[in-house]
Amino acid sequence: MSGSPNAILEVRDLHTQFSTLDGVVRAVDGVSFEVARGETLGIVGESGCGKSVTAMSILRLIPPETGRIASGSIRFEGEELTTLSEEQMKRLRGHRISMIFQEPMTSLNPVLTVGTQIAENVVRHLGVSWKAARERAFEMLDLVRIADARRRLDEYPHQLSGGMRQRVMIAMALSCDPQVLIADEPTTALDVTIQAQILDLMIELKEKTGTAIVLITHDLGVVAETTERVVVMYAGRKVEQATVDALFEEPLHPYTRGLMRAIPRLDVEADAAGTRPRLQEIPGLVPILTQPIVGCAFAPRCGFATERCRRERPPFVDAGAGHLVACWEIDSVRRVA
Amino acid sequence: MSDGPVLQVEGLVKHFPIHGGLLQRQVGAVRAVDGVSFSIRRGETLGLVGESGCGKSTIGKVVLKLIEPTAGRIVLGGEDVTALKPGAMWPHRRRIQTIFQDPYSSMNPRLASGTIVGEPLENFGIARGAERDERVAQLFRRVGLRPEAMRKYAHEFSGGQRQRLGIAKALSVNPDVIVADEPVSALDVSVQAQVLNLLIDLQEEYGLAYLFISHDLAVMRHISHRIAVMYLGRIVELTDKRTLFTQPLHPYTEALLSAATAPDPKRRRKRKKIVQGDVPSPARPPPGCHFHTRCLYATAECRMTVPPLIEVAPGHHVACLRRPVGGDPGPLSIPG
Amino acid sequence: MAVIADDLALPPARRFSLWRAIRRNPTIALGAVLLSVLIVLAIFAPFIATNDPFKIAPVNRLRPPSERWWFGTDQFGRDVFSRTIYGARVSLIVGLSVAAFSSVLGLALGLACGYFRKVDALVMRVMDGLMAIPSILLAIALITLSRPGLGIVIVAIVIPEVPRIVRVVRAVVLSIRAQPYIESAIAGGTRNWKLLTRHILPNTLAPLIVQSTYVCASAMLIEAGLSFLGAGVPPEVPSWGNIIAQGRTFFQIAPWTIMIPGAFLAVTVLAVNLLGDGLRDRLDPRLARRL
Repeated sequence: MSGSPNAILEVRDLHTQFSTLDGVVRAVDGVSFEVARGETLGIVGESGCGKSVTAMSILRLIPPETGRIASGSIRFEGEELTTLSEEQMKRLRGHRISMIFQEPMTSLNPVLTVGTQIAENVVRHLGVSWKAARERAFEMLDLVRIADARRRLDEYPHQLSGGMRQRVMIAMALSCDPQVLIADEPTTALDVTIQAQILDLMIELKEKTGTAIVLITHDLGVVAETTERVVVMYAGRKVEQATVDALFEEPLHPYTRGLMRAIPRLDVEADAAGTRPRLQEIPGLVPILTQPIVGCAFAPRCGFATERCRRERPPFVDAGAGHLVACWEIDSVRRVA
Repeated sequence: MSDGPVLQVEGLVKHFPIHGGLLQRQVGAVRAVDGVSFSIRRGETLGLVGESGCGKSTIGKVVLKLIEPTAGRIVLGGEDVTALKPGAMWPHRRRIQTIFQDPYSSMNPRLASGTIVGEPLENFGIARGAERDERVAQLFRRVGLRPEAMRKYAHEFSGGQRQRLGIAKALSVNPDVIVADEPVSALDVSVQAQVLNLLIDLQEEYGLAYLFISHDLAVMRHISHRIAVMYLGRIVELTDKRTLFTQPLHPYTEALLSAATAPDPKRRRKRKKIVQGDVPSPARPPPGCHFHTRCLYATAECRMTVPPLIEVAPGHHVACLRRPVGGDPGPLSIPG
Repeated sequence: MAVIADDLALPPARRFSLWRAIRRNPTIALGAVLLSVLIVLAIFAPFIATNDPFKIAPVNRLRPPSERWWFGTDQFGRDVFSRTIYGARVSLIVGLSVAAFSSVLGLALGLACGYFRKVDALVMRVMDGLMAIPSILLAIALITLSRPGLGIVIVAIVIPEVPRIVRVVRAVVLSIRAQPYIESAIAGGTRNWKLLTRHILPNTLAPLIVQSTYVCASAMLIEAGLSFLGAGVPPEVPSWGNIIAQGRTFFQIAPWTIMIPGAFLAVTVLAVNLLGDGLRDRLDPRLARRL
């Protein structure tokens, strides 16, 4: 299977592992996907599903003392990233691929002004003069709609609110016109109204700059509102991939279905006062990743699981228009609309 | 117990002093809670919703008397406990228990889970020794844990299981009220559903009253009967949940509802009014209506007058100068 | 009825294995082994010593190390090896008792300061005052007031060491008091005494043990210093400080009289510090989590 010519980032059969005292954790266990130019891809899953490790693998930020990319390929604009030297990766990060994190405070240096931090990134990657870089920093702060950007250049991270710090992170990430922006839970630490502002800003900037976004989140609402295509992960594996409309219209993997039914909904018609319908639970717990998973990782918690599911790992089935599902029992799942 | 409220709060105020300067004199105060009143009946869930810094968690702690209120009254099962010193408060603690947000840090890492859950039983002299263990085993079963797990330590449980432990502990002394401060925020959605269902089952079984604190509107709508929306230390709207979600009257409630994301891509571009700007610091809240700095409908009067919380329709309280009693519940106009 | 939330998926508890413990904590293992050897030497000194450590034999004065006198002899012809082994007793007694006394005192005061805020201001100012007294000067002052002896040396070292322990314990208590599980316990009706003994005290023990190893090491050094200055244990007692002090004048012709007890002192202090560092890494959850 070779990627479409339009893909800017291709991840093929990625395996990332960590050695711990309890054994080898297969954090990412054979994940493949691609990101097209200018698209927004969502990677969604619960904690420990490997979504953040996937992002860190792409940027080669896996701590070498404990973790490693065991196998697989990551191609960015046709260039293999897994074999690049750390020096080459440094030139790439923050320039052609950049990343924003959940907690902006820990990713910003507390003793440097935000203007200096953005300008340093610009000087390092684009080699322009300090003066031009400062000007670029101002433009970027203005672009992310920070009011009074000229004055904010000289402020320190702690002087800004959480929402503003995330705007600064976005400004810094976009300062060198990256082709891909990886956003790991960018709004999870923010309040609802601020989250809405940041999501809107990200969509608007994507349209303006044409940067592809990989949005990593546990929040199905955020995925539905901002992405075009979605990869659903469970226990280090991809279980489903579809366009956002198809996924929410007809989720096919039993895990995705379970997730969608487990969340309390705001958008469905309000129920009569007093009645509280039960949420559908997904029984059991996620598997431990130190033990090799035989068959489908979701089988122990799945109502559709058969002997085969527990024995053999399900391949991806195309359910139409690129809607991929890794499930043996797809037909019985579909019958239960 | 009579039909009176199991928990009643009147004009609750909590200011945290800010010390500054060389002599550490008080130079100001964070007005975390600024005149809040509500009551909860048996078997009812009152939701407190709002963004960070709105004072919802502080209310939880003050009501539990973990911190002392600056002013106001807390009436627990008909008894005024506001001024009680720790020793005198102690017997009343049986009636009001709590579930914390973080199932990791709210359990002593050095104690076995059975000891943690059974501690209130010992404290209040309800059960000791073998009887205590039997009661704890029952509690474990009731919240969906194996009684054999009593010997395990908190870190050996998953997040959802720890939250079950917290619920078992709160339940152990048969309280009237449980203050649940973001009890599912740290959990994954699939586990969150398990815990929410358990909380609802227990409420129906024991007639518990919940003061449910959360920032998540969807969770709130699922579990609450009535909801109070808070902004910078004040309640801006208080009504039953159906009315709140279908006919919100306060501009801030509207803003919250429209900012909330929904798992439905078709809804995505329907978000119309996203409120701009940040929440002001509770150390220097704006005068008048706290929300006027971000409100599309604010008038000159809003900047000066504190809007009182008025019952505009039966059971529907709103603190907005532009929403008079019996006024048109339709959209507000943006002042020119 | 309630579904049993599956706890089967949790990793099974691991059995203790000595080899893994050593591999994980080589510093603790090394420190513990060195210290155990010294303790065995000290306890069984009468059996291990090859000669009478007190016997003066001018004929054999300043003999270099040989088969008969492993570490040579001093200017009175006493066997340096035997004296050094007996000296370990003094160092260990001083180190361990200073660590024990200052831990008990420091723990009690630290708990009180951290938990009862009213006690705090007064006690901590007193502690600041005590810390300003150099232990050597204090010991000299105390000894001039009474007869020199092991007890007075211990007291003189304990007094300035207590505040160090108090500070550590107090800081831990303050941070634990802010933990949600303390609030959770209070809300569950746990009262002061039980809160202190069950929830707070056990959490202070790990940093207390670590700090007391450092106190132990520094007490040994101070004792040697005091003895060297003649303000410690009486000169006839073979402590490492005394041996070094007495060998000082013959250092150029008989360096073993100083080098050997000096090396023992250094190794002992090193062992205790290794143990302390290892325990600190092991007991501090933030450091322990990194493998």
